[in-house]
Amino acid sequence: MLRKRFWPYLAALGPGLLAASAGNDAGGIATYASAGASYGYGLLWAMVIVTVCVGVVQEMAARMGAVTGKGFSDLVRESFNLRQTALILLTLLIANTGIIISEFIGVAAAAELFGVSRYIAVPLAAIFVWLLVTRGSYGWVERIFLVLTLAFLAYVGAAFLARPDWPTVLAETVRPRLHFEYGYLNLLIALIGTTISPYMQLYVQSSVVEKGVTPDEYRYTRFDVIVGTVTAGIVACFIIIATAATLHPHGISVKTAADAARALEPVAGKYAEALFALGLLGASLLAAGVLPLATTYMLSEALGFERGVSRSWDEAPIFMGTLTGLIVLGAVIALIPGLPLIQVLVGVYVLNGLLLPVELFAILRLINDRELMGKHVNGPLYNALAWGIAIVVSLLSLALIVMMVVDWFR
Amino acid sequence: MLFLTSITDRPVEGQSGERIGELDDVIVRIGDDRYPPISGLVVKDGRRRFFVPGHRLQSLNGVARLASSIVDLQPFTRRSGEVLLRRDVLDHQLIDITGRRIVRVNDVQLTPVDGIYRVIGVDISARALLRRLGPRSLAGRIVGRQIIDWQDVQYLASAAPVQLKVSYDRLADLNPVDLARIVDALSFRESAEIVAALDEETAAETLEEVSDERVADLLEGMDQERAADILEEMTPAAAADALDDLDDDVAEQLLARMEPEEAADVQVHLEYDEDSVGRIMTRDLVRIPDGSTVGDALAILRSLEEVPDPLLAVYVTSLEEPEVLRGLVRLRTLILADPATPVADVMDEDVPHVSPEDRAESAARILAEYNLLAVPVLDESHRLIGIVTVDDALAELLPEIWQRRRNFA
Repeated sequence: MLRKRFWPYLAALGPGLLAASAGNDAGGIATYASAGASYGYGLLWAMVIVTVCVGVVQEMAARMGAVTGKGFSDLVRESFNLRQTALILLTLLIANTGIIISEFIGVAAAAELFGVSRYIAVPLAAIFVWLLVTRGSYGWVERIFLVLTLAFLAYVGAAFLARPDWPTVLAETVRPRLHFEYGYLNLLIALIGTTISPYMQLYVQSSVVEKGVTPDEYRYTRFDVIVGTVTAGIVACFIIIATAATLHPHGISVKTAADAARALEPVAGKYAEALFALGLLGASLLAAGVLPLATTYMLSEALGFERGVSRSWDEAPIFMGTLTGLIVLGAVIALIPGLPLIQVLVGVYVLNGLLLPVELFAILRLINDRELMGKHVNGPLYNALAWGIAIVVSLLSLALIVMMVVDWFR
Repeated sequence: MLFLTSITDRPVEGQSGERIGELDDVIVRIGDDRYPPISGLVVKDGRRRFFVPGHRLQSLNGVARLASSIVDLQPFTRRSGEVLLRRDVLDHQLIDITGRRIVRVNDVQLTPVDGIYRVIGVDISARALLRRLGPRSLAGRIVGRQIIDWQDVQYLASAAPVQLKVSYDRLADLNPVDLARIVDALSFRESAEIVAALDEETAAETLEEVSDERVADLLEGMDQERAADILEEMTPAAAADALDDLDDDVAEQLLARMEPEEAADVQVHLEYDEDSVGRIMTRDLVRIPDGSTVGDALAILRSLEEVPDPLLAVYVTSLEEPEVLRGLVRLRTLILADPATPVADVMDEDVPHVSPEDRAESAARILAEYNLLAVPVLDESHRLIGIVTVDDALAELLPEIWQRRRNFA
């Protein structure tokens, strides 16, 4: 009876909080740490704006779930024509596959900090994850991983102990500055891509649907979404501040997980690497366990395949095949010799950022569909904000692509 | 064979072949007919969409041809009772009754029956998707379909944004275990639609198999009177589990609406922790006074209004104090023994027992160790308050694999 005993707002805390914290996974940490190390406080302003964007996008996803009672891929299949559906699902599949790869890279990086070869750690992690998901006893393991990720809270302490110049920090937080430089834009897109990950919207919407939240109870869910977004945003800001204060002045850019861990030295001393590795392992395994399953469900539901982890290979060959394939693919790519881990992590989120407009415009069309949403469509001001976000993200992605192409021909 | 996606977005022509517009959608009435008839077309011309009544339709092969050329251009508006095949059926989920699963409609098959076009089936094959994805000219090269007869599917009224009277008779062909699987796999609102269509007894049997969280949400979402009626039909142990997942106030309101006798039964279980013997035990057992003969015992069994199911053994208790367990007689022994034998001679006296506070697992272990089908539950003052059957223990112990992990998807 614990579930709903508390004050409804407090009780509603959960999916939004979890989804937003899931943004601080292997790729998230790599991106934030890179941003702080390479550009100091120069991307803090972006983090604030991106946090607002996440809030808006997550809110729309949650509202869709509450009003329609359906998950995102369901709505896409039922409201878009088949070719558009295929495009949207394909971008989501690519984005999620990228993140699955990044989670196994996170496992590899964490293992190497502990001195364990990734050629041992990653296959073990893949088998472990596969068994957990298909044997269906993921619940309590999930909690352990979640606790491990609390290690990243150490960045908040690290930021304070590093004695940053707070007036500068504040000034940079509120003063937007845009450099049209490839590296800067790349990190900005990665920042957007890792913070507004499509899978977080999928997760929030589906948990709202699963809980059977009605439009009347929706305000509690909105509270959850806001609290989650703000919390995750604050943690991300502190990671940037900590790395900006410790690594940036010494000109250390984040090339390996060990570099990112060094920012924790003010708080953890010689245990910095171990602390970082624990957090990274927890975050990576958490997402590696959830993402392949979520992606497989997304595809199976939209395409109508027999589904469920309780089904056998004979009963649900496509479901089990996709699930297994995603895990194997993620693990195999993470094992490619000589792969520059941190760059790949950031790269995955650049890709995510580039694919994001497709999802954003899909959400915008669904949320403003009166037949679907009734009176719960976006209000005019909010709609302008949401469209603004989608357009700005698209323009930034376009700018990055143009720069990439120019770069190739030089 | 005529399929919906081969005629949509294609020209609609008048009697003499002149172009009237393009076919936007097909309107059907899903009601008492076994195969829903087409009641009209939605034709679009540029940005306008207008309605053409079904009786004007002459043929649908390749292009839609109308029987008359004069069409009063009535703008199309949605009306209750009408389902649009493209918008509300194609790409939506249905329940495949014979396949006992949820399917997605990849195409809709139409055929003229006595001059009226009707929906006769849905194509759920992946090849139908491929045909629609590629260019139309290549569609013919992809062969193979998997068609389910319309009579074997259950349409979900929540798929259409209008008021519909959908008959759910077909759900009666599914057994509660399959229904539960479907209820778990559908979204909350669709599953509520299904449960609302079931009679109380079937709803209760279904909910007993549905995951705890979903049951709590469903009970909370329905009318309290009906929720209480369904809870009454559930086994007290299952009802207690369901109530335990609800808000305290709601659980109490529901208990108050239940028949006092059934509510009391449920409350006994609620006094014990989840996963404890007290929660999963069955209180429904047959007591035989210790002076009886085997013949008396059989007579008592036959005179019972409701006999426990499964019936594994009868419990011999003290004549003066029916709560004091003397021993048990297995059903097998009872049937084989001479009716004149006193039960005291054939009963097992040295029976292992469990306490209601014990964990459910320990009851299962005892059942396995002693090769029992049921183990008596004695409270702290050694009074017989129930039994744990193999069934009860198995349901408790089977890994959560059975509870679908849909949380994320």
